This record gives sequence, structure tokens and C-alpha cells, in this order.
Amino acid sequence: MTRIEQGEPGGSDWQGIVNGEPMRLHVRASQRLLSLLREELGLTGVKASCGIGRCGACTVLVDERPVNACLAMAYQCAGKRITTIEGLADGEGKGELHPIQRAFIEEGGFQCGYCTPGMTLAVKALLDEHPTPTREQTLQALSGNLCRCTGYGGILRAVERCASDSRLPDG
Amino acid sequence: MRLNRQTAQGRWHRRPDGKAKTTGELAYLTDLTAPGMLYGKVLRSAYSHARLLAIRTERAERLPGVHAVITHRDVPGLNRFGIVQPDQPVLCEDLVRYVGDAITAVAAESVELATYALTLIEVEYEPLPVLDSPEAALAEDAPLLHPEGNVLHRTSYARGDAEAAFDECVHIVEQTYRTPRQMHGYMETEGGLFSYDADGRLVVRAATQHGYKDRMQLARILAIPEERIRVVSSPIGGSFGGKDELNVQPYGALLTMRTGRPVRLHNSRRESVIAGLKRHPMRVRMKTGIDAEGRLLAHEVEIVADTGAYATLGAPVLNFATEHAMGPYRIPHVSVQGRSVYTNNGVSGEFRGFGGNQVIFALEGQMDRLAALAGIEPWELRRRNLRAAADPGPMGQTIAPTDGAILVWRSAARSRLEARSSVPAEQAGDPPWLRRGIGSAIAMHGSGLGYGIPDPGGGRLSLTGEGQLEAAFSFEEFGQGIVATLEIMMLELFGCDAADLSIVLGDTDKAPHSGSSTASRSTTIAYQTLRELQPRLTEAMLTVAAAACGAPQETLATGPGGIWLRPPGSEPRRLLSYRELAERAARSERPLRFETAIHFPVTPDPVMGAHFLYTCTAVTVEVEVNTLTGAVTVQSQQHAVAAGKVVNPMGYIGQIEGGASMALGFALMEDAEMEGGRYATENLDTYLLPGVADTPATLEIDAIEELAPDDPYGPRGIGEVGSVALAPAIAAAVRDAMGPGVWVAELPIRRETLIRRFAPSEEGTR
Repeated sequence: MTRIEQGEPGGSDWQGIVNGEPMRLHVRASQRLLSLLREELGLTGVKASCGIGRCGACTVLVDERPVNACLAMAYQCAGKRITTIEGLADGEGKGELHPIQRAFIEEGGFQCGYCTPGMTLAVKALLDEHPTPTREQTLQALSGNLCRCTGYGGILRAVERCASDSRLPDG
Repeated sequence: MRLNRQTAQGRWHRRPDGKAKTTGELAYLTDLTAPGMLYGKVLRSAYSHARLLAIRTERAERLPGVHAVITHRDVPGLNRFGIVQPDQPVLCEDLVRYVGDAITAVAAESVELATYALTLIEVEYEPLPVLDSPEAALAEDAPLLHPEGNVLHRTSYARGDAEAAFDECVHIVEQTYRTPRQMHGYMETEGGLFSYDADGRLVVRAATQHGYKDRMQLARILAIPEERIRVVSSPIGGSFGGKDELNVQPYGALLTMRTGRPVRLHNSRRESVIAGLKRHPMRVRMKTGIDAEGRLLAHEVEIVADTGAYATLGAPVLNFATEHAMGPYRIPHVSVQGRSVYTNNGVSGEFRGFGGNQVIFALEGQMDRLAALAGIEPWELRRRNLRAAADPGPMGQTIAPTDGAILVWRSAARSRLEARSSVPAEQAGDPPWLRRGIGSAIAMHGSGLGYGIPDPGGGRLSLTGEGQLEAAFSFEEFGQGIVATLEIMMLELFGCDAADLSIVLGDTDKAPHSGSSTASRSTTIAYQTLRELQPRLTEAMLTVAAAACGAPQETLATGPGGIWLRPPGSEPRRLLSYRELAERAARSERPLRFETAIHFPVTPDPVMGAHFLYTCTAVTVEVEVNTLTGAVTVQSQQHAVAAGKVVNPMGYIGQIEGGASMALGFALMEDAEMEGGRYATENLDTYLLPGVADTPATLEIDAIEELAPDDPYGPRGIGEVGSVALAPAIAAAVRDAMGPGVWVAELPIRRETLIRRFAPSEEGTR
């Protein structure tokens, strides 16, 4: 278990599972999940952008559901399983990418890449629920994640690639 | 060529930064930290126009954990910045001219402390009248925002005698168009890390589109030699022109100099909106006339741009708008007058399209109105007036010959036919409140900085000691994919593997001057630089290899992993690896390292700002208008683009799709409205960027690769051209859907405007 000591008063003991690893931390009462992940744990794949839950750059999975880490309070996520982009490929072989990451690379689903971690996790949540989503389901699931570079074409093609791979008999 | 993954086949190339970006491993400059790091924050003005009577920082300075509070008194050099003319205060002395004006900056041990410290700083203001529009700033009794007056820049271009020629016109259209204050909306807000290296040099790691220019400007502000500053400016989470000007760099640098400690700044979205650049809102009045055959005779244009409080690139943007106000058309009599006006609004500056988007919207609106007036099919009217390959440029200057205009016109003509045949069938199944329409627009777009502006570039090619073929350019990678385009060019030139390559970007210590990553210029600069340097490096490498192996040099070639022997009539085999070659070369006196300085191709004719290389585009869209909600949905888009060879199909598609998405926002939803010099919208909850649901169901790209015979300039940049012609196409399609009498003259096309203007006429008919 990773333990990070913090002497600050006014906070509380926080336990949770981050990218598969049990964590015990001291969190401030006012601390957002974004700050806990980015600043305390150095998981800078979690991006900060609008700070008000509109752009989705900070999207992480909390118990497999997509959450804006800039809005969620750290204490609200105590006892939960949190997955950031750094943990997405954990189930794959060493050095391997998750199929969604491969699809983004293959189809050009990113340019500057700043929205990509959040977008990728939003796609993960979508495909967990709907392995072969309809266009409507995809549009709804990704509407909380803004991308200013791609115009979403490459992202939608990446989702389609994942879906068609899962349609294969041995997919 | 219909460009997509299937047609690209083997040319489809995965970006080299894909793994780092999709895994979150990539450290952006705002992700960096350093031991002992402090956090910087900037206090910006509470007023959009005021005299500063007093700035009291004592309370903030006394706050434990605050290490520095700086004001204008702490700027050792020039307390101004600006790419062309430095007129924006780093820290204001006695006057603030907009709400983004910086007054003090603080370094503290946490972001929260720094933010709190800002609240302890007392600033006394004497509010002054706010000039919240160009009209107010141009009024005779308006206070002067700058010593030279309220007009930053004027343009004037004329040929023939437009005024007299209107007498010859059979049809004349006069209309005023307005365009919004669009926000770049890059996902990564401005920021970075500032520190000293072991040699006591200042290291600036912050986003920009021209690292060397930042270094020059910072040296001027800090009063230290440029060589004492290293600027690391890549990778970047989006820019679109918005980070070309200095943003947080002066504050980070000054706070680091003051405290001797590393300092990080990272703008909140609100700070980014308030202080950041926007696209110039423009009011464009056009009066355009045709003869009985539909030939353009006279064209009169008046452009008024709201450039905001400071200059930055307001003047070049107006030059660009002036040049592009004639489009790809032959017009004998032209008069264009432009003014870029200082106001107390947010600063307008560089933004993808660079002033072209606004005037192309206006000009294409004129063409559609004239077509309706004359009873000529609108696309046919354009054909009658289209430029020919050898025609001069829009301001009569010599340009590289291009028949791109007619090629994209033809492509769009086919798209229009297809849409015209499919729309009625689709319409038949629609409920009565939905209307469909199609529209098209055409444009030409110049690349490079234009005549009269130094536009140097260059780069370095070398075999490193580790045996890597290294291409070094000072360009920044902000998403556009220059890293992939360079990799593809290198693979083709050397026939090597991607693993043999090293691409070095965005670091003034590691790459020579390539100029700015702007103006659709990087691809051209990269192509020309590599074309010059590759034969020199290859020749030098083969000389070393031939000496080392005793093989005739003419039987040797670069290839995967190293130097290959290709004897006639027998199997090629690898003679030595690049690493071995590098070791051999290290023993000789001759470094395998070549650098060159070139200049972006420029017109020989002395027409200020005029361009030499042009790309052309024509866009056709099909829209659906909901007459109950006023919502405009773009169902399909076809983009024809004539920009030479497609080097990087994935990047090309991405730039056109991404540029189109940005143009969709410009057309339908984006406007950073200001009221009394204050932003009415400060974040992405009220400033709406296109989301995934706004993506058209189909977007097709026809990439036209033919260039004029023997064209030596190589592939053209396509970073901007995808964003310039969509808005007028949408405006035309909305009109087509809504019927006669409904013309769009203002962007964005607001739902409430559509409902207000059109819904009442529906009453009783449905």
C-alpha cells in the first residue's frame, strides 16, 4: 500500500483504489479529486481545462463511471475505484496499449492530445455499457468531452473501429 | 482524390506521438514541476479603462508563503510586448485599457495562497469612459487610447475606378456583414514552468508558436542577452494562433528572476478568456456590381476591425483581410479601405484564417445576393468570374501559378449536383417544420507572412553520435502534426525506418531558427529545408561509408537501419548501421551535420503583405433548419482542397475536419460577447464550442494534388484553409432552406434570430 503522509490539519484520512493500487492519503476538506490525482499523485494524464465540468478534459472513471475530476470532491471518492488514463492499459500485457488507445492512434482520434485522456475514458465507459453503440449512444456518451482540434471525425472513427473489432466472432 | 483512410492505403501513417498522447505519458509544459517550485498568479484589471492612482502590495507581501509581489517597477527592461509593435504593458504603470491588463504578479507556495494574495493587493482606479466598439472609438470626441490615436492601422487598395464603374453595372448589391469575437478555445490554457539551469540561464518552458520570437521579446523585457534564455515551446495542447503572442511568459520569467526559484503559471479558463486573444470582430461593408452577363465590374469594400486594446498582429490581420476581400475572382475595378481600431475590448489577434474568414463570408454573401438579383445560378455566377491559372494575385501581384480555383469549383459543382438530387427525397420524409437547403462557397488563402515581412526559415539535418538521423526545427507541435509530417518526409528522403529518426522541435537550445509555426508555412519550410539538406547529408554519409567499407560510393544508399550496398544485378545488403557510421564519422574531421537558412517563397512585386503561394477550397454543405427552434444542423460537408501533394493523409484529414469544426462554431454558435468592455462569457458553460453531436453525419474531402507544371514549392500547408469557406456555405444553405428574402449577414446565425425573423411568416401556412 502506498502511503503519503501529510501533516496538514483540517482534512481527513482518505482511502481508495487508484489504478488498481490501494492508496491511503491525507486529503484537505476542500480538495477536488483533480487536485488529488494531478498534484498529490502526479497523475498528470488527468488534465485541467475549464474547471467547471464542461469540457471533460479531467474525466476519470470512478467505479467504472465517467466523472469530471474537477467537480468531484476528493472525500466523495473515498473508498472508490478510480481509473485514470495511466491505468487504462493495466489489464493488457506489459507495454501494450488498450484497444481504445490503439484505435485512437490508428484513426487519428487526437491531435494536440490534451482532451485525449478524458475522451478515451469516456469512450471506455461508453463501450463498457454498449460494446457496439449506435451513433446516438456515442454522441450522447461523448457530449461531455470537448475536442477543439479534430472536429471529432477521428474520434468517431476510433469508436467505430473498437465497435467493429468487438463484433468479430473472437473479438 | 477522395481522401480517407482507405484511399490513402499505404500512405496512412500513425503519428509518432500517439503512444505518449493516448497513455497520458506526454508531459505538456503545464504538467511540469520542479523541486522548490512556487506558483504564480497575475492580478488583472478590474476595469476596462481606468487610470491607476495607486497600487499597494504591502499586505500581500506580508502574507506568509508569498515570495514575491511585482509591479511595473520591477520590470528591468522594456515594459512592453507585442510581436510587431510592442505596445502592451507587461505590468501597467498608470493606465489600464482592458480587463486583461496585468497590474501585479505574485509568486507563492501554493496556487491558493497566490490567489489569496491577489485579493490583498489594493489598486485605486479612476474609471475612464469605455470605448466598447470601433464606432465609439472612432467618434470625434473619443478619448485617445494610444498616443497615435485610436486607429492601429489603415489599409487602402484600389485598381481601376470602382466608383465610376458602378455606373456600368446592371446589378449592384450593397450589404454590411458582421462577424463574431471567436475564441481559440484550445483545451490547454496558457502556462508553463520557469526556472534557472545549472549555468544560471533562464529556462522558459511555455507554449508559443515562435520560440525564438519569445526569446527576443523576453530578452527585451528582462534586459538580459537572448543567449541567457532558453525557450522550450513544445508540445502544446492546442493554439490555433492564440498562443503566438506572449501570454504568461513575462510574469513567469520576472517572478523566477526575483525569487531565484522555479515558478509555475497555469491560467484558469477564466483568466485565459479574459487575457487571451480572440478573432477580430469585423464589420465589412461591400458594394459589388456585375454587368448583364454576370461579370464582376466593381467591388468596393470597407472593413472595420475591433482590434481591442493593443496591437499584437492586428495590422497584419487587416492586411490579410484587405488582400482576401477580392477572393478568387477577376474584378477590374476595386477599392478596399480597412481600419483596425483600438477599443477597450479584449485584444484581438492571430487566429487560424487570419482575417480571411471574415471577408470571405462577406464576399461569398455578395456573390449569392448578386446571383439571386440577376437570376443566375450562384455557382455559375462564380464560374463566370473565376481567376485563371496565370492570373495575378488579388492585389495584382505575381503569384505562383495555380488553377486551384477552377479545380475546386468543379469538385463542388459535382457535390452540388449530388446534393440537389438527394435533398428533395430526404425532404419528403421530414415533418413540416424542418427545411433543408444546400449552399457552397469558394475561397483562396495565402500562406506565409507576405511581402515586406521577414519570413525566414530553416533547419538542421544531422547524423547524431548515437546514430540517429536527426531533423531539428524550431517549430512547435501543438497538435497540427508537424512531427508526423517531418517523419514522413524523412522516411521518404532517406528510405530509412522510423526507429532511425529523431525529430527535435521547439527548443531554442536544440534547434535552429525555422521561423514561426503559423500562416500555414511550416510544411513548405520543412519541405524546402529537407530538400536542400538531405542530398548534402546523404553525400557526406556515403563518403564516410565508402571509405570505411571500400565500396564504390555510387553503389551505396541510405536505407532501413543504415547504409546499404546495392550492387547492380545482385541482392542489396546492409553494410553498416547508422550507429557504426556515426562512430566512423566521429573519427574523421567531418561532422555529419548540415544547417541551412532559407526564406519562405515571396512575391517579387512590392505589395505590402501580399502573398505568393495560395491554396484554394470550395465547400458544399447540406443543412437542416428547424423553424420552431431556430436550430441549424449541418448534415453533410464536402470540402475540395487544392494544396498540392498530400504528405500526411491523417494530418490532412484532421486539419480539414478540425478547421471545419472551428468554422462551424464561427458560423453557428461562437461569440465571446462583451458588454461595456467586459466579457459576458468567461468559461465554456456560456461560450459554446462545437461538441461531438455537432459533427456532420458525413464529411468528405476531395484533395486535389495537381500543382502547376514544374511547381518547385512543394506541398502547401493546410492548417487554415479548412476553416475559411464553411461559414458562407452554411449561410447560403440556410437561405436556400428558408426561401427568398432570408439573407444571413451576421455570424453566428443565432437561433433566436432565425425564430424571430422567420417563424412569424410560417403562421397560417403550416
